[in-house]
Amino acid sequence: MSWTAKPRVGSAAGAATAPSKPGPAPAAPPAANHRVSNGLKEFLWLIGDIPKGRVLDLGPVWQSTVSFFVDKGFRLSSEDILRAWKDFLTSEEEKLRTAAVGEGNGRLSPSALADKFLQNALDYPEKSFHGVLAWDLFDYFDAEAAPRLVDRLTSLVHPGGAVLALFHSRPAERFHRYRIVDAQTVELLPASTIAVHSRVFQNREILDLFEKFRSSKSFVGRDQVREALFVK
Amino acid sequence: MWRKPTEVQPSSQPYASPNPSPSRSEEVPKSSSFQPQGQQTPSASSLSASPSSAPVSSNVSKISSGLKIQGDVSGSADLYIDGDVTGKIRLSNARVTIGPNGHVQAEIEARDIVVDGSVQGNLKAGESARFGSSSRVVGSVVSPRIGIDDGARLRGKIETVRAPQPSKSSPVEASSESDDLSPVASGVKSE
Repeated sequence: MSWTAKPRVGSAAGAATAPSKPGPAPAAPPAANHRVSNGLKEFLWLIGDIPKGRVLDLGPVWQSTVSFFVDKGFRLSSEDILRAWKDFLTSEEEKLRTAAVGEGNGRLSPSALADKFLQNALDYPEKSFHGVLAWDLFDYFDAEAAPRLVDRLTSLVHPGGAVLALFHSRPAERFHRYRIVDAQTVELLPASTIAVHSRVFQNREILDLFEKFRSSKSFVGRDQVREALFVK
Repeated sequence: MWRKPTEVQPSSQPYASPNPSPSRSEEVPKSSSFQPQGQQTPSASSLSASPSSAPVSSNVSKISSGLKIQGDVSGSADLYIDGDVTGKIRLSNARVTIGPNGHVQAEIEARDIVVDGSVQGNLKAGESARFGSSSRVVGSVVSPRIGIDDGARLRGKIETVRAPQPSKSSPVEASSESDDLSPVASGVKSE
């Protein structure tokens, strides 16, 4: 797939309510926190022509996101990877707590934990997806888990496929979930914190994280959230 | 929307099917524990028919909370599951509802599927699939229409297919557009 990024004017994304746009009506009330997403727009531009394209949403499943993609003929897979990670860590802690003294091998290292988690997570065949919506989850994974997660995603993405990820330029004040409202609008839904903000990625770190992808493009909104699009 | 059938029951029918249907054939090869839990449905059997306020059918079977079934379930009566089911559920012309207490480890094929409990397995609906806010699903979903309430947890593939036009007799055929279920099937965990 050719990667000819179209120039965008006024790429800053506002936190204000999006202006009215064509497309499906937002499922959320008007007061909801909508964000114009140039990254999403580019993401859809990249994968839009793929017949029966497959998209992996790494956030929770939402009706609006499902409807958006299936209406366009996509097949959507959903795996709330951050919640799965948290559940996994909780389970590991519980195992440690209940293990008898001298039983087992003790606490796993962060890298071993990440490897163990990925044994059962994101278990799809290689090149399964043309697009992956990663949202801001990398901000919440530790330094050992994040690269491993990207490696797994790299194998899951079809050549020419795209990954959309968000990175906060400062620790997020609130934990949000994301769902698609329309082709250029994302709704931020405040949610109970299931993971603490782990780190703030610098630009170079983001590029290094996705070094196996052949091109990238990013947009920084007024809210200092960087939307990054990576093409394999 | 489906309502849990708790109303008036003919209490003198322990294995009752108020509307016995010749096509109804729930098969329970291995009935591991058929202990009635004093539910409002008086039936002592694992599968009890009960009247329903659902507009789709008055022929509803119920697997109550506390019951466990291993094996295949097939037929044409609507089914409400609030217990544990492991196996395969194939009710192509009927509705399957997984109640809030229901735990199902099975592939489900039905005309309509409503999930408020926990399901591990692939789901194929001929007309619609609905996931309530308390639903927990690991598996693929193939259905012409899909409804998802906020709070639902779904891990797997979601795919819509065209509904069968002339009749409801073969909803599974409607998924012929679906080239495969393997990517998601492989993603289904059996922890």
